[in-house]
Amino acid sequence: MIGFRVVKSGILALVQDTGRLGYQHLGVTRGGPLDAKSAYWANRLLDNPADAAVLEITAGGVELESRTQTMVAVTGGDLNLTINGKPQVPWQSFWIRQGDRLKFSTPRYGFRAYLAVSGGLQTKPILGSRATVQRDHLGGIHGNGEPLKVGDELPCKHLAEEEISRQIPQQYLPQISQNITLHLIPGYQQHLFSKAAWQQFWGSEFSLSTHSNRMGARLSGPALETPKDTLLSEGVSYGAVQVPPDGQPIIMLEDRQTLGGYPKLGNILPLDGFVLAQCMPGAKIRFKPLSLAEGQQQMRRYLRFFGL
Amino acid sequence: MSSTEQFTTRPEVTFAIAGVDALLLQFDQQLDPCMPGFLANIRQTIFREHGDVVQEVVPSYASLLVYYEPRLVRTYDLQQLLEVVVNDTPWLCSVWSVDTEAPGKLVEVPVWYFPEGHNTAAVNDMAAICKHTGLSQEEVVAEHSGIDYQVYALGFAPGFAYLGRVAERLEMPRLAKPRQNVPAGSVGIAEQQTAVYPQASPGGWNILGLSPFQWFNPNTEPMTPVQVGDRIRFKAISEAEYKQLLQAQGGQS
Repeated sequence: MIGFRVVKSGILALVQDTGRLGYQHLGVTRGGPLDAKSAYWANRLLDNPADAAVLEITAGGVELESRTQTMVAVTGGDLNLTINGKPQVPWQSFWIRQGDRLKFSTPRYGFRAYLAVSGGLQTKPILGSRATVQRDHLGGIHGNGEPLKVGDELPCKHLAEEEISRQIPQQYLPQISQNITLHLIPGYQQHLFSKAAWQQFWGSEFSLSTHSNRMGARLSGPALETPKDTLLSEGVSYGAVQVPPDGQPIIMLEDRQTLGGYPKLGNILPLDGFVLAQCMPGAKIRFKPLSLAEGQQQMRRYLRFFGL
Repeated sequence: MSSTEQFTTRPEVTFAIAGVDALLLQFDQQLDPCMPGFLANIRQTIFREHGDVVQEVVPSYASLLVYYEPRLVRTYDLQQLLEVVVNDTPWLCSVWSVDTEAPGKLVEVPVWYFPEGHNTAAVNDMAAICKHTGLSQEEVVAEHSGIDYQVYALGFAPGFAYLGRVAERLEMPRLAKPRQNVPAGSVGIAEQQTAVYPQASPGGWNILGLSPFQWFNPNTEPMTPVQVGDRIRFKAISEAEYKQLLQAQGGQS
């Protein structure tokens, strides 16, 4: 089954689905799209199941040539998409014929685009998931965690007939910004941090470091006072904000290691993590507190909307 | 690690919020040989009795991270359910601290221990280990392979088993600056812990040898030949034996 041939592999393009569930106790990372909401929208535009595999394109530079005919949908950040050289507005679905060229270049706004195809990308699942996790050497086109390479073939299904192109209603388009506020639910070892450290944390503006990746968003700003005690490693959940000895917070994301030993202030709201995924290095980040109940209510609304 | 002493009584549990859908159960900040079996039992009971609302339970040295579905159970209610599970799980420390009756199987892991001045291995800290500990290469090997280790946790990478405790004479601080790339199979020590890197990765532990042992294979059942609570015994082999064993595996890693 051939769907798309990779003409240009870009900076980082990874096949992602909802991730490897149930293996964290063996050290296997979950993976999954960093901006899951955009990935869900891309699948919804095509009536795909929510967990269908999509392509996550970070910072652009990807060119694909179609070897089949199918419907595709593009969401997430605007990476100046062109189809056969013609500029296209994202957040809609398109009919693609054999020989068509899809090109994602540098970001106009946002940082990560999501490309869904009708029926989902058909790479081989490993441990129940197609998610590509580079550090675990699992998933992706070759099953070994490698990102897209020139000459790779992305398998997908052939669609017999053209379907109607759909767009996402204006009110649902994401607010992409490079100046954001993240909601933090205090928890974990919040008591280990001094009052001064907390004041500094809530009152400071951080910027997103160029060393950020799918494991963690590294922030740079004033160095927070860190607890002196060393901790035994323990499970790290999504969105945990950990503070290593240099006082610069790291927000743990989908490719985080399963165990970690740095003290944590709490966790960001996952919905805010999706906004963070669209930030470029240098973006300005502030924090404000959120109660667990309010965070859970917001997540309930989001999951219900996508029928999850 | 703040302390090395063993518990004499069962540790208290505390609960911490770990985001919208996770709770962290913490028991203490100590390395205790009785803990892995205790946590494994709690984990099993959680799945058996509350598997409808709990999705994953990630054990570590002295904690369990419980991922749950907040739409099916309120956080506070779950905490109370888990408290019951913990209190009903027996603390069998006195039995399990005796080696011969320890839970889990004993797995032998072959290691080619580096000579002190070996130049062919790109990553070899044997000389630094000898210098820091004041032991000879033979003594380092004897100390490292002379005791059985408990598997305290699996994490960091698929199949990476945190083993302890390392003999006190062999304790080494982590490298001040972690290496960008430690080869697959490297056997490392850091503070009270030892481990084998299942695959090439960055790392800050002191490397004293190479092992051909396969720690993770997604195509086999079970995927990891060792589980938390099992024990490991390292067996010294020669360079030739190491290469032979590696070849016999057909380079499947």
